[in-house]
Amino acid sequence: MTSETMTQSFETISDEAYRDLEAAVGAEYVSREPGVLDGYTWQPTINDDPAKWVKRPVAVVLPSCTEEVQEVVRACNRHGLKFKAFSTGWGVYSGCTYDNVVQVDLRRMNRILEIDEKNMYAVIEPYNCGAQLQAEAMKLGLNAHIIGAGPACSPLASATSGWGVGWDGVYMSYGHRNLLGAEWVLPDGEVLRVGSLDSGLGWFSPDGPGPSLRGIMRGSAGALGGLGIFTKCSLKLYNWPGPPHMKTEGVMLDAQTEPPEHMRFHLCFFPDRASLDEAVYKMGESELAYIFTRTAVGAYVNTFAPHLLQNVSRTRAFRDVLSKTLKWGCTIILVGNSEDEIVFQEAVLKEIVSGQGGLSMETMQAAAIGPMMVMNFLRVSAIPMVFRAGGLFSTALARNEAWDTQMDWAEKGEKIKQRWIDRGGILDDLADNPFMALYEQNTWGHCEEIFQYNARDPKHLASLEPLFVEFSVAAMEMCMEPLSVTDARLREVISPMMGHYNEWQKKISLFLDARRAADTGMYCDEVDIDLSKIDPEIRETLDRMVAKLTWSEEGPPS
Amino acid sequence: MAMDKDKLSAIVGSENVSEDPDLLATWRQAGPVSGGEPQLLVRPRSTAEVRELVKLARAEGINLVFSSSAPPRVRGDSVPAGEAVIVDMSGMDELVRLDRRNKVALIEPGVTFERLIPEVDKAGLKVLMPLLPKRGKSVLASALEREPITIPKYHWDMTDPMLCTELVFGTGDLFRTGSAAGPGSLEQQWAAGGAQKNPMGPAQTDFVRVVQGSQGTLAAVMWCTLKLEVKPSIHRIYFVPDARLSRLSDFTYRALRPKLGDEWLILSARQLATVTAEDPSRVDELAAQMAPWTVVYGVSGYEYLPEMRVAYQEKDLAAHAQAAGVMAASEVPGCSAKRMERILASPSPEPYYKAAPKGAFMDIFFLTTLDRVPHFVSVMEAEAGKHGYPPERVGTYIQPIQQGRNVHLEFTLYYDSADAAKAGELFTSASQALSEAGAFFSRPYGPWADLAYARCPDTVAALRKVKDMLDPDGVLNRGKLCFTREVV
Ligand SMILES: Cc1cc2nc3c(=O)[nH]c(=O)nc-3n(C[C@H](O)[C@H](O)[C@H](O)COP(=O)(O)OP(=O)(O)OC[C@H]3O[C@@H](n4cnc5c(N)ncnc54)[C@H](O)[C@@H]3O)c2cc1C
Repeated sequence: MTSETMTQSFETISDEAYRDLEAAVGAEYVSREPGVLDGYTWQPTINDDPAKWVKRPVAVVLPSCTEEVQEVVRACNRHGLKFKAFSTGWGVYSGCTYDNVVQVDLRRMNRILEIDEKNMYAVIEPYNCGAQLQAEAMKLGLNAHIIGAGPACSPLASATSGWGVGWDGVYMSYGHRNLLGAEWVLPDGEVLRVGSLDSGLGWFSPDGPGPSLRGIMRGSAGALGGLGIFTKCSLKLYNWPGPPHMKTEGVMLDAQTEPPEHMRFHLCFFPDRASLDEAVYKMGESELAYIFTRTAVGAYVNTFAPHLLQNVSRTRAFRDVLSKTLKWGCTIILVGNSEDEIVFQEAVLKEIVSGQGGLSMETMQAAAIGPMMVMNFLRVSAIPMVFRAGGLFSTALARNEAWDTQMDWAEKGEKIKQRWIDRGGILDDLADNPFMALYEQNTWGHCEEIFQYNARDPKHLASLEPLFVEFSVAAMEMCMEPLSVTDARLREVISPMMGHYNEWQKKISLFLDARRAADTGMYCDEVDIDLSKIDPEIRETLDRMVAKLTWSEEGPPS
Repeated sequence: MAMDKDKLSAIVGSENVSEDPDLLATWRQAGPVSGGEPQLLVRPRSTAEVRELVKLARAEGINLVFSSSAPPRVRGDSVPAGEAVIVDMSGMDELVRLDRRNKVALIEPGVTFERLIPEVDKAGLKVLMPLLPKRGKSVLASALEREPITIPKYHWDMTDPMLCTELVFGTGDLFRTGSAAGPGSLEQQWAAGGAQKNPMGPAQTDFVRVVQGSQGTLAAVMWCTLKLEVKPSIHRIYFVPDARLSRLSDFTYRALRPKLGDEWLILSARQLATVTAEDPSRVDELAAQMAPWTVVYGVSGYEYLPEMRVAYQEKDLAAHAQAAGVMAASEVPGCSAKRMERILASPSPEPYYKAAPKGAFMDIFFLTTLDRVPHFVSVMEAEAGKHGYPPERVGTYIQPIQQGRNVHLEFTLYYDSADAAKAGELFTSASQALSEAGAFFSRPYGPWADLAYARCPDTVAALRKVKDMLDPDGVLNRGKLCFTREVV
């Protein structure tokens, strides 16, 4: 997002088009009231436009079923309007990027349609959220992957259209890889069902017959609303050996939950990066962990007690303890299906940690911490705390790959951030604030470098776009796909470094959406970026990367 | 179709072009598919040559059929629909990279299981095996065709164990998928610590999924990275024989949910006897001694506290077995646990194990869920009965995949030359009956394509658009899948 996308003038919808929308969903479920529309326009999170607004939709509709979604999409096609889906709307991604967009708010489609207990999957609608799905799954001894954005988010949105990263990925994989089927309203209003569903055979298998259409609907990132609207999907559930009901009092930091019998929560620390890395590889090979994350201790303090961090960070000794002594740590939650299994897991963890000269603290049994941690980790409830320090935050993500590369990214991110902290461009969170996770027992890893800022500080706001470019260039230098692959501003530059992927995305968009009805701003559009605010040194590096990495007719330059 | 040998020779060298009829014969017929008219065979040595071949095919209207494995051919996907140039990729057989730390190999299409297994073993890793792949089978082709692996806990998603790929689309364009897409060449990515382990992407595309299961109709795959796992330090195999499939299903559901066990498969008596018989002539005798159904499972210990791991797994599995009313044993007639361990880690002996007992066989396989298997078994039995086909000549293999959420269900019809016509009739009618009963032919070879695609016209319409995008001139394995226009 840039100030380009700021609403300068408001476009309105014709009465005829509006009547068609009313006919599609019922008059009480459509609005073009400016006050209502502005509710969808204020999208400050992960939005580096200093103004924080996105384009105002021309109308908002609340369909209740697939047929109504189809009618809305068809009306948009008839009237030359665009549409954009909004499930739980957590972050800027559901925002409109054109002047003539109908926002399709899916909050009335909020059901869990089926849980197949034996075959471990659930069929859900867009506004069913992670917390609801998890609570129902747990009653059956199952669990649902909850992304790091937290339990209020739509699992359907992340699995079909967003990313799908979460710290339970070590045991419960990634949004896209958990998808077993989808019902998809295409940009022309037709419905396509992905996988065995289209053969009338249920929701169990996502690919085929023959080639998989899952590869068209999304990649490591989703199409972010640019290819239509998903109205139902089937998602994998995973084993949950804990109680069917988590007895919890209070919310977030006050939450007190009785820890399940076979759950352990270990904070591990190592003397240096090499020993941490080694331990992580060993943990993966030993098939440990239900939840795994590397989140800096300073970041925990910053999340749970931001004022405390601001105070202690002024004291050199405390600062050093947090950012140096406790730097090389990770958090690991073990869950056993039996007493013997949890005893085994803890014994292995102990051997791995001590073998690398590290130490581990089991805190589940600590009365002050354990009960508070359970749901904050299992249900990812603590995530809104990230807004406490400065009001807003953003993130710098590069290609998820081998764990070693993710640690390199964390170190690089820390260096970049430190410079911006030193010049007062972002909040001081001790710079080392990565959110790291593993997927599928360390088949690959994840790292994003989080930075917080004060939305009322003009200097902070002015840093956002330069930081976005700097992180993107750093990713290129490290041969990693930057988060900005999904951003219209850098697609034109990055796509030719990665097999011209956007040319293929444009083709997919064209064959599914001949009338250009979907809002493709976050899928395949390309806009110019004003690099005048970017450090000359970074611009130079970008030019160098373009020359060095752009594919020729023969493929990637060697 | 004009087959200009000179133009093909100009690309791959005349020594790599062949019109030897004996060589080409193996692409004329396979399983239920016949009518192939391969005209020439070319052996490219590089991606650049493959791209040139595709460009030539587009210019000259040539049908290119890519093939990576040695004969015999079984499924018929590489038997051309009419005339074709066979692109034999088996000569591109380099194991380009083996990365112990990140448990991954980068392999070309010609790398076979027998070639890869010892290399991977030396590194302390193991290949995720399908059940007894035939000798000469390309590892890449096996993963590309979504052949099920025998360790469900490592089968997280349908792409496994394939990770990243290099593709040449039917347009002639080069593309790389997953983290291999870059930025940077492979060498630059390795220097930066990358190991091509993330299978998704690049960006908002996931072409590896589109190309998997496409039977060479959308792209040629030049190499892939393959997920490997740690070789256990202790590995024990158990058998759970039982008369009732329902009890073994119950046991399987209980065990796979908490990710217990390593290998996990269910075999009928006939299939277990065929898999395990040292002397194929004894299959009938062995099958008669075996329980109607047997779960075969493995338990492993790795680097840390391996005995303790095996002990807790054995104990927990014994509790689940007891709850399901079944019991594990360390051998079945004619096969010890040790022998089964070797079978699960190896390619098939020669001749191919399914061909050994009667000389010939036909497979019918599809995806379903474990709870629906008994229904399909009874459909198959009824069909066999209708055709007077001896039920003991049908073997059944149930392979849990996606960590137990689905199964690959496979019926094998064993026959000799006298029975060939009857087996062919049963194959056709049983395929139809199983499809009507809800079989999901996710890998629709030969006649299954019509059955499978008739059920999903919207998918067909979308796939045809994908075909138009990736192979606009229809030069890749023409006439396969739903790219025939007449299906729906
Ligand atoms: C604090 C915070 C933390 C985050 N952490 C993570 C994280 O750890 N992991 C992660 O993966 N992401 C994370 N994100 C990014 C992102 O917000 C999520 O990926 C999430 O999926 C989006 O939120 P949502 O579920 O509310 O969906 P929405 O905002 O409603 O949708 C997300 C995108 O998908 C599209 N979309 C939504 N529903 C549909 C539909 N039915 N059909 C078609 N398109 C649709 C939208 O148009 C939008 O582009 C985070 C965001 C925030 C604000």
